[in-house]
Amino acid sequence: MVDVTLRIRRYNPEDTQNRKPYWQEFSLKDCHPSDRVLDMLHRVKWEQDGTLALRRSCAHGVCGSDAMRINGRNMLACKALIRDLFSPVPDSVKIQVEPILGLPVLKDLIVDMEPFFAHYREVMPYFINDDPLPANGRERFQTQEDRERFDDTTKCILCACCTTACPSFWANGQYVGPAAIVQAHRFIFDSRDKATAERLAILAEPNGVWRCRTIFNCTPACPREIEVTRAIGEVKLAIQRGTTEGIIKVTEIKEVVSNS
Amino acid sequence: MNSLVLTLTEALRYRGGIGQWSWILHRVSGLGVVLFLTLHVIDTSWAVFYPGLYEEAIAAYQSPLFTLGEFALVACVVYHAYNGIRIVIFDFQPRWWKHQQRAAFAVLGLTAVTLVPVFALMLIEVIDHYGHSPFVLGLDRVLLAQAPFAVGIVVAIIGAVLLSGLVGLVTGGGEAGGRAGSKFERFWWSFMRVSGVLILPLVFGHLVLMHVVQGVFALTEAGSTIIGTRGLLNVSGTATEFVLARWNTSLAGPTAGVGLWKLYDIGLLLLVTVHGFNGLRYVLTDYTTDKPMLRRAATYLTLIAGVVLLVVGGAALLAGIEPTALDMACHAQEELGKTLSEFCQARIGG
Repeated sequence: MVDVTLRIRRYNPEDTQNRKPYWQEFSLKDCHPSDRVLDMLHRVKWEQDGTLALRRSCAHGVCGSDAMRINGRNMLACKALIRDLFSPVPDSVKIQVEPILGLPVLKDLIVDMEPFFAHYREVMPYFINDDPLPANGRERFQTQEDRERFDDTTKCILCACCTTACPSFWANGQYVGPAAIVQAHRFIFDSRDKATAERLAILAEPNGVWRCRTIFNCTPACPREIEVTRAIGEVKLAIQRGTTEGIIKVTEIKEVVSNS
Repeated sequence: MNSLVLTLTEALRYRGGIGQWSWILHRVSGLGVVLFLTLHVIDTSWAVFYPGLYEEAIAAYQSPLFTLGEFALVACVVYHAYNGIRIVIFDFQPRWWKHQQRAAFAVLGLTAVTLVPVFALMLIEVIDHYGHSPFVLGLDRVLLAQAPFAVGIVVAIIGAVLLSGLVGLVTGGGEAGGRAGSKFERFWWSFMRVSGVLILPLVFGHLVLMHVVQGVFALTEAGSTIIGTRGLLNVSGTATEFVLARWNTSLAGPTAGVGLWKLYDIGLLLLVTVHGFNGLRYVLTDYTTDKPMLRRAATYLTLIAGVVLLVVGGAALLAGIEPTALDMACHAQEELGKTLSEFCQARIGG
């Protein structure tokens, strides 16, 4: 069993006495190494301080609503276990939780996600193909290799862990950010989609991919293990060459498929 | 400013790993090199335009303050070069990203491995220099000689901000560019990578010749051989003669054809200035996106500074040399209070 000191960044815009963010510590006895940070936040909210505000929905790493900075790194509170943060797990641990950075804090751990979703919408994150349907009137076919090219970037759950781990995004909220580029990558490298040129043009603007300085903070932050910086790099190359041809090699894909 | 302070403090707080530190080091080292580049191009142009000032500048380079700066400069150049290669490799082979952490550590390791012998050789030159109870320019004069640069930089910043304000008034402000900017940034992204790779052999050659094989102290050593000139001797012991002799050395022979070192220095000046000031533009515009006026000013500042350096440096490289240059250099050395060479004594006496 582990004793946990949870240090939480608090902020309450309705508190007229204290309008500044501050740190507050909570002690939790008898936690289990397999407890998640979300479990501990629940215990604080349910047993100690009902005013603690946090966002979570599915609580199982699928919906992507509980991204926060835990012990200095962005992760999902529902996927971060005590034993992931400390190995081996000591008898008492200190865990620091604060909101993700670069988006306006609304209350405690809740940030305004709207600027993030605005960037997401900028890249036209939906399938575009106005060609007539195939003769049988059913689906548009694609080889396994073609499907494999963008498989990695289909996994994104829009939690904003990557975008808010990016120093370029901290400095400049107008930068579209890693998540939007990952979402664009999913369609740019889809052989059935016809809006590649438009998306590449959007991302070639000064606040598009060129604001990425290959710092690599985004890649380890992703709870879905998407190769984020790689995807951004592939989009950069596609813009630079003016084509998506030959950037993701199919032979490598086959190896990946047979290995997995 | 807010954005810069926030990014710096949060970069220290966020546990992002080696990639984040590489990025900070790349920016800091780049800024250091650009600052010295500005001083150095203008200083060196004085060898042609104001030999007296050039002697003073080299005397400053030979002072303890600049010796410390020289070690820092070499470290900055070496790290920036190696880390730049790492960036280029992962930019063109994004699928290798899994090796990036190891590569970032390798860059640090290679930088250390390179710097140990280089620093040792430089240190030997420093110790050797001070062993001969040399002439040392006082710190007050060293700093005074840098004052015009400080003033120039401040004036350039104020000018850029005023210009940006004026443009803002005329055009009604707002973000410059738009869709038209897309090809612009694509070009600069490619340019930074291509120029970075081209600069590598040029700048390493320059560093080896000017900081390791024949250090800054040898510039004013009367009777020493001038490196890269087929054995010409620095008769007057002036830095001016050193520079002019090198620039007069050509591929075809001592007096004919195109200057070998002129070509070399033109290539270096062009690539490093454009690379450096575009890098400065990246840094400045990254932290001024919420202030269009300052962001425009950053673009103007880097453009103006880059053009000024290219014009001044280019003019010096292409200009003819005054026959009285060495006399002026000798006079300047006398005025500084240095021990004069026999050549200079004869020139000044006669």
